[in-house]
Order: sequence, then structure tokens, then C-alpha cells
Amino acid sequence: MTGSDSSMIPFMAEIVASTPLSADTSLFRLRLDQGIADYLPGQFFQLSVPAGGEFPVSPASAADGGGELEFCVRRVGQVTSHLHSLGPGGRVGLRGPFGNGFPVAEMAGAQILLLAGGLGIAPLRSLLHYILREPERYASVTLMYGAREPAAMLFRDELVALARQERFRLLLTVDFVRDEPVDGRVCTVGLLPALLRGVKVEPAATWAAICGPPPLYACLVAELASLGFADERIFISLERRMKCGVGHCCHCALGQLLCCSDGPVFRYSAIKGITGAI
Amino acid sequence: MRPFLPEERLGSLLALLGHWGEVYGPVTTGDGVTAFRPVSDPGQLRLEYRRTLIPPKRFLLPPRETILTYSPDAGYQPLDTAQPALVLFGLHPCDLQGIAYLDRVFLEGVVDTSYRRNRQALTIIGLSCEPDEFCFCGAAGADLPAGCDLFLQRTPAGFFVTAGTMKGEEICDRSAQLFTLRQPAGTTPWHHPLADAICRGCAAGETFPDNPLWDRFAERCLGCGACSACCPTCYCYDVLEQGGLDGQAAERLREWDNCLFKSHGEVAGGVNFRRSRRERLQYRFLHKYYGFGALRGVISCVGCGRCRAVCPVEIDLAALFEGEDHDRQ
Repeated sequence: MTGSDSSMIPFMAEIVASTPLSADTSLFRLRLDQGIADYLPGQFFQLSVPAGGEFPVSPASAADGGGELEFCVRRVGQVTSHLHSLGPGGRVGLRGPFGNGFPVAEMAGAQILLLAGGLGIAPLRSLLHYILREPERYASVTLMYGAREPAAMLFRDELVALARQERFRLLLTVDFVRDEPVDGRVCTVGLLPALLRGVKVEPAATWAAICGPPPLYACLVAELASLGFADERIFISLERRMKCGVGHCCHCALGQLLCCSDGPVFRYSAIKGITGAI
Repeated sequence: MRPFLPEERLGSLLALLGHWGEVYGPVTTGDGVTAFRPVSDPGQLRLEYRRTLIPPKRFLLPPRETILTYSPDAGYQPLDTAQPALVLFGLHPCDLQGIAYLDRVFLEGVVDTSYRRNRQALTIIGLSCEPDEFCFCGAAGADLPAGCDLFLQRTPAGFFVTAGTMKGEEICDRSAQLFTLRQPAGTTPWHHPLADAICRGCAAGETFPDNPLWDRFAERCLGCGACSACCPTCYCYDVLEQGGLDGQAAERLREWDNCLFKSHGEVAGGVNFRRSRRERLQYRFLHKYYGFGALRGVISCVGCGRCRAVCPVEIDLAALFEGEDHDRQ
């Protein structure tokens, strides 16, 4: 990207827009001071808020050859609260990109099944945008996205608009409904594994990609297995405490693999036997 | 015949080493702890020391250091201050092996610039040792362990001197007048049965998931982290940011972290990927004996014995390789 050592020293960017997506989550659009934002869906950056700190986060956008990129950030800890206090014009730093990202070349030509829970939509939105830039390269793409409740559903209008495309099928679900009415045409009530159970897929011709809160992985993997998915055809994007991004600080090991440098996207077959991986 | 430094000329060698930086060696501090401290007089040196409490990693990875500074105008910048040159005198083979391991972590692949700056400031003089009941390195008695510029093999009358690097040869050249030539007495590499047991266990991929020692260890572990703090190859670090009171400038710091601490596996939002002490002990075990990431398959335990010596509740992960009756409690 910029500078000679972008993996260790943050390069600067400016917030050009921050758009609230839910009560606690906003989409931050950043413009790099210099250079082009080049990254693969599923890779991550370390985002610095000066005087606040740094946190790992995957872009929610797909690289488009320009100098801007988007991050979907929930206000959940100290540094993300700092970030949420900044508006357009705010200065932030970035290191990265780190990790492997989704194997987009390998996924071409097949059916793509994206399974997102909650904030896990962010890296899968990056992958979705990447795919929909050249949809003819894929047989089809299906996104199943589960949120806690209607008000917590991120990018709903954008996803519904995208779903007018022929090759993109969208299935939304919420865990429960309180007051808000659910638009029954586009969203069901129920858990994501249940939604998956009711869909016909061709496991041998499909790549599945999962990102969501920790408890979701085991349920979805079990459901995919019962549908006939081979472990090799399931990709999982994992979260861990990643402080450095380059395999040095050793907070993020799964077995002997490091989430930051061997992942954060893992083929399920590679982590299946590792206790505590999912 | 090999270069030999008679013991009474050690002071002259120390004075000469001053050309390469301030000389630190093993001394006993006022509070009775063995530590690497500045030495000017060979009388201060504890040449027969077994191990310092804190390993020499602190010269490469200080417990807390500033790695970047931030200002609104310049953004994040690395520190451009030069590190003062230091000569570390008297490192034992286990600690030399520890530094060689850290070099692999921080200088191979993605280079850590802070580590490199600290490393380049060091001149390292190794010293042979006499193992005690906690040691199991298997490297004692070697003529020239990896990673030192100069190695001193101690005998009752003085030291056989071997250069390990160009810098070591330069030191030898400059101090040639201090040396005599002597026929070396054959040294026998010292071998500890525990080192053999560890090598055998690791070769077999043993992680002892059903060994009852895990539960016994987890039950009494205090989570104090002493085993990791005093380990010459434990290098986990946390990254912190301190904002100035002006709300503008900031410093990026890093400090030692510790996998025995509950916060080590925790992320914002309250999820902890290693909630139990058992999981945290197993994480340490896996890192020490099997390695993570690019160093998968590399044992990083160097057998210095520090963790066994300092644990207040006598937890010894190496005992897993020997069987449960080797639990010292």
C-alpha cells in the first residue's frame, strides 16, 4: 500500500463518511492519504485510532482499485468507542492487509453459499461485492444472513436491492421479533441453521463461507455436513485477539496455527481436529 | 592448541570489551537476585551463577517499550533513536539458544524493527556452565553454542576462547595479547534424561490430553505468569496506546503479555477463547514444545530450568513427558 513497512507502521487515512447501520454499529468509509487500497475479501487490517489504540477488522468493501475502503464497526470496546466518537474528517491509521482472505480464484465457477451471522456480515459483504462485480464468473451466489432482531440487521436495504440480480439469492432471518414488523417477503423469523435446513443445495458444486459469532460455527458446520458438504468445501473466517497481525505476538493460536497469519480464513478440514478452534 | 585466557586476565578482557559497549554480566543484586547488570570489576561477576531470574530477553524485548510515536502532522513514526551498544557477558548456552530462537521469530519473515535495533546493539559473550537440578538443556559442554560472538569455556585456571562471529574474531584479534595457547581438555557434552524424554515425546507428537497432571496443574496454578515472565523464549506481547494530555500526540507501546493471564485470549464483547486455566496451561505447553505459525515444529524450551525453579506451586509442564509420578507436589 503506502510506505515501505505497512505491516508494522500504520499509514494514515481519513474518515470520509460514517453511516449508522444499527444502534451500535456504523459503516466507516476511509480514504487513504496515499496509494491504493489493495486487499482480498476476508483479509484484515489493524485499524488505529490515534491515542485510542488499535483493533483488527476486515473490510466490508471489496477493493476497487481506488484509495477508499469501508469498515463495519460495532461500538463494543474502548478503541471502537473512540472510533465511533469520530466523524467525517477524523484521522485514523491502518496496517495491513494481513492474513490470507477467501480463496477467490478457487471459488470461481462454482455456486457460492455465504452464511453470515450478526456482524459476520462484514467480511462476507466484501466477498459478495467482489463476486457481484463479475457475477458471470460464478454459477450463483446465495447469502443467508441472520441477525438478532430486525433493528440489528445490517445493510438490509442494500442487500435487498442487490438481490434483484439474477444470480444472487438472498435469504434473511432474525432470531426474534419484538415490536418491529418483519417484512415477510424478504425475512423470516428463526435461526440460521434452521434456514439452511430448508434450502436445496448441491454440496459437491458449492463453496460455503461462514462468518459469525463463535457459537454459530459448530451449528452451521454440523448442518452443512448433514446436507452432504465435504469439510474441504467449507471456509470459516475466525475472530481472535490479534494484536500484531504478523505472527509475532502469539495471542491468536488455534492449535499450532496462527489466526492472523495462517488465517483468518480456514478450510474447515484444516481446523476440524483442533480443540477450541470453533 | 587453542586460545586460553588465564583467569587473572579477565579484568583486562572486560576493559577491552568496553570498546564494544557497556558491559553487563551476572551479578548478585542488593536484594539477593542474580541479574545481568553493568560490571566494571571482574570481582563483581558471579562466574559460577546458575541462572538469572529474568532472562536476557529483556535486552531484546524490554518489559515495556515505546515502538511508535504519533503526531497529527507526521502520523505514526518509528523511533529513530539509536540503542546504546551493550556487551552481554556470561550468557549460558541455554540463554544463547533462547536468543537464537527469538532471532528466528523476529528477524526471519516479517522483521520486527524494534527487536532488530535492540539486537544489533548487542555483543554477546557466552560462558560455559555447571548444570543444577533444574537444568535439562543437554547443550552444556558444547564448544560453541549458536548465537554468541565469543564463547568462553571455563576451566579452573581460566577460559578457552572461541569466536562465533566476525565480531568475535575482531575481539579475539584485539585481545590477542591476553591469550596464551593451551591444549584443550576434552569436554563431554552433558546430557539430561529429561531432554531425551522431551525429544522423544515431541517426535511422537504427544500432547498428553488424558494425563491427570493437567487437572492437578490447573487446580493449583495461581495464574501468576512467573513461568512465562522468566522464560527466555516467551515473547508474547500486548500493544497499548497512550495519548498525551494535549489530546494530540500519542505513543504506541508494547509490553510483555502472558498466556497464563485470563485476558490473553479475550476479545471485546466478552468472548474468551481460553476461559479455563487448563486451556491456558495447554496453550503454553503447545507453544513451548510444538511452536506456532512459521515456527511450527520447533521446540522453544531451552532447558534453562527457570520455570521449574520459580513456580510457587511447583508446576512443571516438562513432567508430562516423564509421567504423572514426576509431579513434585
